[in-house]
Amino acid sequence: MRVYILKRLLQIIPTILGITFVVFIMMRSIPGDPVVSLLGDAYTEENAIKARHDYGLDKPVLLQYVIWLGKLVQGDWGASILTGRPVLYDVLVRLPVTLELVVLSMAVALAIAIPAAIIGALRQNTWADYTATSVAMVGVSIPEFFLGVLLLLVFSVGLGGWLPSSGWVYLPGTCQTVVCAAGLWGNTQHVLMPALALGVGRAALLTRLLRASMLEVIRTEYVTTARAKGLSERPVVLKHALKNALIPTVTVMGLQVGFLIGGAIVVETLFAMPGLGTFGIDAIIARDYQQVQGFALVTALAFVVINLIVDLTYTFLDPRIRYS
Amino acid sequence: MTDEHDARGARSISGGSLQEAELGAAPKVWTARRARAESPFAQGVRRLRRSTTALIGAFIVAVLLLVALFADVLAPQSPITSDQTHTFERPSWSYPLGTDQLGRDMLSRVIHGSRISLAVGVSSVLLALFVGVPFGLIAGYYGGRADSLIMRTMDLILAFPIYLLAIILMVIFAPTAGIIGTIKVTGAIAIVRIPIYARLVRGSVLSIKEKEYIEACRALGVRDPWILLRHVLPNCLAPIIVTTTLGIATSIIVEATLSFLGLGTQPPTPSWGWDLKANVAFIQSNPWISLFPGIAIFVTVLGFNLFGDGLRDALDPRLK
Repeated sequence: MRVYILKRLLQIIPTILGITFVVFIMMRSIPGDPVVSLLGDAYTEENAIKARHDYGLDKPVLLQYVIWLGKLVQGDWGASILTGRPVLYDVLVRLPVTLELVVLSMAVALAIAIPAAIIGALRQNTWADYTATSVAMVGVSIPEFFLGVLLLLVFSVGLGGWLPSSGWVYLPGTCQTVVCAAGLWGNTQHVLMPALALGVGRAALLTRLLRASMLEVIRTEYVTTARAKGLSERPVVLKHALKNALIPTVTVMGLQVGFLIGGAIVVETLFAMPGLGTFGIDAIIARDYQQVQGFALVTALAFVVINLIVDLTYTFLDPRIRYS
Repeated sequence: MTDEHDARGARSISGGSLQEAELGAAPKVWTARRARAESPFAQGVRRLRRSTTALIGAFIVAVLLLVALFADVLAPQSPITSDQTHTFERPSWSYPLGTDQLGRDMLSRVIHGSRISLAVGVSSVLLALFVGVPFGLIAGYYGGRADSLIMRTMDLILAFPIYLLAIILMVIFAPTAGIIGTIKVTGAIAIVRIPIYARLVRGSVLSIKEKEYIEACRALGVRDPWILLRHVLPNCLAPIIVTTTLGIATSIIVEATLSFLGLGTQPPTPSWGWDLKANVAFIQSNPWISLFPGIAIFVTVLGFNLFGDGLRDALDPRLK
């Protein structure tokens, strides 16, 4: 098991090299460069050449990548061309915001999906099932940002500003700069709508998947056996059926990471949250090469780590699955 | 883990073929021939017509197509002409959905916005299909070096979180307005979706190419392109069709999201995602205007999802 995890962690390296390299090449193939926005009014051909030289942008692209990689190995993520701040600093300040958003939205998703799917599957073709499946259908068809707008309309506009429409109050302990506000209640108020906007769509998707696999599992012989043994319904459903039905669902959740990252970008933009999503999109649009590399690195890491967690979850859900 | 899945797959497949056997294997030769005469697609269409969800979905999609086609006739006003004397009008008889910050009629913008959504949604998926399916066929059928070259490239694209790739592609393409802008968005979304088809088709081809009828074709000296087109492709069409319909729904959401982030088709071309974003800024004073483009996106995606779900049930009875 430990060897397996170690092996998987080693596999992170090619994935990260691949993603960061492609992003590196792609960003540099965008016409124009960040020097233009850096210099602004002071832009002259001479200044531009000097600035490009200072930031090493006049070197061949491959060499630039190797230099970036070399520094990365030493723990140096580079510094933003436009703000001069170290990329790692920005990433660490913004990571807790996105992490909180994503974890809470997954919690929302599971809290809705598991009961809904169980009810739907156990009472197949009853009004409860129809309600669960119809609501799930609506849920998968509604984009995160529109759900966010609806929440804004209800909680910020309609109910006279119950919840703040934008900005952020940090969770106590995650605020790393001197100027940021922190507080549990303020944080809850700010994270509630974004977490719902991001979580409900996932919940709908999970409900559909989980209901389908529950339906398959509860018809298997071992569930009949469990019932025949005289087990009460609760352990049959939760221990025997749910755990096995979760396996394909967890797989799809792992594959959904790409959409989750996109969702985080959109939701953070809508609610003006200082997370990694807004960091990434701003960096890409401003062509801040170093920041984009940092963002690509974090997303690649998230991608690999989440998929590793998914694979390790299988061993918990089905002890027959062993990695060696 | 793989074994577990294979076992599951095998079980459900054998369940499926059993059902088909029940349908097809009748005691008399007559009925057997009649059952053979009804192609899998005719069966699919028959089942589709019985599915209420699919019919509702098809109805929504049909209405949307008509709206997009006849947008010029249906829209009461120009979607791009601004009228500074009528900004932020509330919904009224002359402006059923109100006007935006430039005094443009929201109803006309929502009607015209359907063109971008549908055009990008449908054409990006078709483009991905026409590139991805041949790749999948070649990779699965020939195997070896072609397979590893194609599939490793696909894996590289798949390793990207799809929005990261789509966003960077749009920045590279530099978003613009009008038809060119629409083509750029279509291209970006298509690139992201190609690997889905390549993988799907490759998987099906791997099992189909081992079948006896393919071996029979080879023994008869049938050429590879003909085998691929006439015998392999038709047998993996069902999952392709389902993925395509549901894929249109996803593509429409991706397009709206890109527009929402300011990276889709640029103004003045009307686009639902862009309108939603532009109007969110005024949500406190004019709550209704950001509602309509959002509802339009939602209804469109719902239509394709319902239709796709119905199709899946119709073409793949074992999923029922």
